[in-house]
Amino acid sequence: MTTKRFRFVATMVITLIFLLAWVFPIVWSVLNSLKTDQDVLAYPPKLIFQPTLEAYRDVLFGSGSILPNLISSFVISIGTTVITMLMAVPAAYALARLRFRGKKFAGFYVLATQMLPPVGIIIPYFLILRNIGWIDTYQGIILIYLSFSLPFAIWLLVSYFEDIPFEMEEAAYLDGASRMRTLWRIIIPQVRGGIAVTIVFVFLNAWNEFLFAVVLSGNTVRPVTVAMFNFVSVEQTLWAKLAAVSVLAMLPVVILGIIAQKNIVKGLTVGAVKGGGRR
Amino acid sequence: MTGRGQVRFEDIVKMHGEFSALKGVSFDIEPGEFFALLGPSGSGKSTTLRILAGLDAPTSGRVFIDGRDITATDARDRDIAMVFQSYALYPHMSVYENIAFPLEMAKLPVAEIDVAVKDAARKVKIEHLLDRKPGQLSGGQQQRCALARAIVRKARLFLLDEPLSNLDAKLRMETRAELKKLQRSLGVTAVYVTHDQEEAMTLADRMAVFMAGEIQQVGRPAEIFAKPNSIDVAAFIGSPPMNLLAALFADGDVLIAGHRLKTALQAAGERDVVVGIRPGALRIAPDGLKARVELIEDLGDTKVLDLDCAGTAMRIRVGDESVPPEGAVISITARAQDIHLFDPTTRRRL
Repeated sequence: MTTKRFRFVATMVITLIFLLAWVFPIVWSVLNSLKTDQDVLAYPPKLIFQPTLEAYRDVLFGSGSILPNLISSFVISIGTTVITMLMAVPAAYALARLRFRGKKFAGFYVLATQMLPPVGIIIPYFLILRNIGWIDTYQGIILIYLSFSLPFAIWLLVSYFEDIPFEMEEAAYLDGASRMRTLWRIIIPQVRGGIAVTIVFVFLNAWNEFLFAVVLSGNTVRPVTVAMFNFVSVEQTLWAKLAAVSVLAMLPVVILGIIAQKNIVKGLTVGAVKGGGRR
Repeated sequence: MTGRGQVRFEDIVKMHGEFSALKGVSFDIEPGEFFALLGPSGSGKSTTLRILAGLDAPTSGRVFIDGRDITATDARDRDIAMVFQSYALYPHMSVYENIAFPLEMAKLPVAEIDVAVKDAARKVKIEHLLDRKPGQLSGGQQQRCALARAIVRKARLFLLDEPLSNLDAKLRMETRAELKKLQRSLGVTAVYVTHDQEEAMTLADRMAVFMAGEIQQVGRPAEIFAKPNSIDVAAFIGSPPMNLLAALFADGDVLIAGHRLKTALQAAGERDVVVGIRPGALRIAPDGLKARVELIEDLGDTKVLDLDCAGTAMRIRVGDESVPPEGAVISITARAQDIHLFDPTTRRRL
């Protein structure tokens, strides 16, 4: 075996190991979601079995349907994402472009909120929400999620805005465009990739969030990450149903990822080479 | 369009913190003129252009366009078009959309925009590239696209910030000529920033020479070339640069390395001066200043000889006729009217 060939094989083997580690839980979930409860618990594990959609039917349309929870998750995630983006885009633009008093501090405070461990602030958050009567409400959970997603989104977006040369904006002003028009017509189309990346990350974080959801939600607003635990009880774990819910919860994220994939890859390479992403 | 685009700068000062980028700049530009702002980098020429465009505000002083004080007017309300050094094309828009953008902002009807865009593209010969994105164009084509975007609006003032500096030498020469023709045919007032004196000399009707935040001289290029009013202008204009040497002035003559040369200045008495002689104005002749040929630079049609004249470096430009070999000692002279005299302390022309 030549060195080149050896290197190729070694790379493939290492890649395969990582890929397997990543793919195993997904394959496990998908397979188990298609089994009956008996098949799930069979020992040795059955690789060949009669697939059934029973678990999906139960979790979607059965007595403990998770459909309301999926809707909860959607409302929370989309709400968080939309509000985050509406506020983060202008904020990031301002941090990247405008000169104003206290800009440095503003930038630091935005980052500082990200330095706290979430567990440390969960009780204060709970108390605040309880005092204003927002426990178990959409506005309550979205508000708390915003406190994480906004700084994150702003910091991600600032670098994209900074990548756009000043002259581009000056040219637009001289062409007769107002600041808002320049932002809308000239700047935002060029940070599309960054915006797509940010949307995916913000949505994903909100969709997958568990810790805050479990404390701050209740019977009215219960996202799917919390509802999943209905299938785990002291007496038994309903593995097939749990797996089916996991697969269902994964779907929107996977779909979003596929749609935004092109932009994500492009977005992540912007800034790597000066001007490379723009041309 | 002649009659529009008169500019007046009145005592413009621009401070960047403690540093004064412009120290009281005043000049006038006549309608339809091609006016160059020439100077080395950091001399304040770009700052001047940005203040005219409204992209920077002056610390003090006033700017007038067509008699109206526009010092506090917003950039987008000044009716000024500009070509940036980097072209600043909008990368997500096609060439067509780029050129159409200023008209779209002016809310012109679509049909009118279409006619104007195609017309502007034809004028700069890019009508076949309208569907492309800027990223798919060569440097020269991008530059034309930026030009088209600037001329499409028929603004009253046309600003160009080193628009040719990103092109290669050959393309630069070609574009230079086309730019001048374009400006003439449009009859628009153009203000052109450059650090390249050759570009300014060939393009401009008049030019202002900037040095360290001040205008040293304003005038027609030939005028400035023939009569630079300071040592700094003399050193900056002309290629190869003017020979400048310390000498003693005595009763209308100058003494250089023990040799007497006649000057056009009729004055009695003695004083220290700086003598300036252009390399092209020096001639090889008997009974002149003795100098040794150090190096010959062959420019094809002419040759530039680096000389050592009693310890002072000088340059002479000669034709093909009689080029002495390197190492030879020659004798050089210049006509009285070709000798420029400057005051060594004030650095001004005498």
